[in-house]
Amino acid sequence: MNEEARAILQRVLRRLPSRKTQSTLRAWGCLSAQQLEDLDYTQPKWLLLENLISKCEESRLHLKDVTKLDMVYHIENPNQGTWHAFKLTEAEDEALSVDFTQFKEMFVAHLEEVVQHVSIRIKKLEDGAVWIRIAWGDNFTKPNHLKPTYAVHYLQTPYVFILNLAAKHKPFVYQALVLSTRHVSINEAHLTGRSLTAMRDLLMKQYQQVFPNQERTLKERNAPPSHPNIDKEHAEFAERTHQMACEAFGDGTVPKLETAVYKLETRYRGSNNNTLSDRDELFRGVVRFSSPNLLESLRHCVSTGMAEGPVTPLLSSITQKGRNYFVIAEKVPGATSQTPAHKT
Amino acid sequence: MALLAPYSKIPELNTATILLVENEEKVQSKLADAIVQREKDVNVNVRLACKLPLPVENSETRPRVDLVVFIVNLLSERSLQVVENSLNHLRSDFFLGKVCFMVTDARCGALAQERLLSVKKLAASHRCPVICAEHQTEDGISMAASRLLTVLKVSAGLSPVATTALYLSTLTRCTVPSELDED
Repeated sequence: MNEEARAILQRVLRRLPSRKTQSTLRAWGCLSAQQLEDLDYTQPKWLLLENLISKCEESRLHLKDVTKLDMVYHIENPNQGTWHAFKLTEAEDEALSVDFTQFKEMFVAHLEEVVQHVSIRIKKLEDGAVWIRIAWGDNFTKPNHLKPTYAVHYLQTPYVFILNLAAKHKPFVYQALVLSTRHVSINEAHLTGRSLTAMRDLLMKQYQQVFPNQERTLKERNAPPSHPNIDKEHAEFAERTHQMACEAFGDGTVPKLETAVYKLETRYRGSNNNTLSDRDELFRGVVRFSSPNLLESLRHCVSTGMAEGPVTPLLSSITQKGRNYFVIAEKVPGATSQTPAHKT
Repeated sequence: MALLAPYSKIPELNTATILLVENEEKVQSKLADAIVQREKDVNVNVRLACKLPLPVENSETRPRVDLVVFIVNLLSERSLQVVENSLNHLRSDFFLGKVCFMVTDARCGALAQERLLSVKKLAASHRCPVICAEHQTEDGISMAASRLLTVLKVSAGLSPVATTALYLSTLTRCTVPSELDED
């Protein structure tokens, strides 16, 4: 056990809540059942750390094993830090037949070819997610295990989620991913968030979607009033707005997205301020929506009539395009912008 | 634009109808349950709406409305705006004692007090009473229901004591203190 291994162990232990410590160490699988029994999890953390380190030394564990614990921790707590989504494009013919071992070998080979000191660990989970942990070093330094990059890829899908990737390492990861998954290029998907599962559900459409001609679920939901003497005057209207909200943002439990950012590069439009509206330059600004569950709040706003329908394409494209970062550009004839300009 | 009129339909025997208008639909359903369960002697119909005007399709089945209650949540500006807009869709006969305002969340914060004042002014200018209600507790809801029922029985002509709605209106209408009128 060297200093670095101790530091990683200490950091993981500090972040773990006491009641989860035991199960995480068991999932790690490097200590025997007897050793896990012997540890007292009610001890203060610094004391527990000392005991844990002595157990690790007993079993002759090395830095490599400790990084495995770090990975276990991240797999169990995927909501730490900001994840960025990427999309692989232009799949080659063999892309569908890439299996895990092939992917693993290729990825490691491609990355080690271009970076001298790099430590890679790859693990496939039961739900099909491939977790990749990369610790970077450069020509003269050993890999730094305290600042690893995590990447999550689902084989045979074009999506990759990356945590903690420095700009200088970007080209290496891009290249290794593109080559080992047999694609031609990789682009940012303009989706970032703290919750990996929410981003995955949003991109892979793993939530209950509602389509315009599908009305049955909503009919059931709009329960009749509890008493024969109570009548709802706007029942039909409420049903319509609810249907509209669900079409735009999904039904049931929606992915827990926290923010949506709109960058405005448009001219100021307003009648009451001449100094602003007469200008030739663009009126730049950023509109940021944030909420513990953004899609849920937007759906609620629309379905209760707080925001009037129909839902603007700017909001509904969060789910339709799976993005939460948009640049709204002025509509110039002849030029193509990524999102349509929107007038208010 | 069809206005809602109080006397366009024949009243049914021993029946009173109350219309609860609330934009956010938070309080109205709880209140409606409390009202129908509380009243045993008279057949009370409750109609729930989120705003006026009411949909034309329901006009055939809708009984004569004896009391319109506008519920204003003081925490929400929109709730007040909707009520202000809805007032234009009532025939003027309603304001002879068949409209009342109910405010909720009146205890919260300074912003609520400003809105409470504008609700009071609105009510005073329409000669209508304002009732403050607590909607977070069971007791509060049942108290609000009983107060509404008292007003409803009078405005529906079911109470032998206070015979005319006009009479009730002069007794219960909201008056804004005079110093507020000046500014």
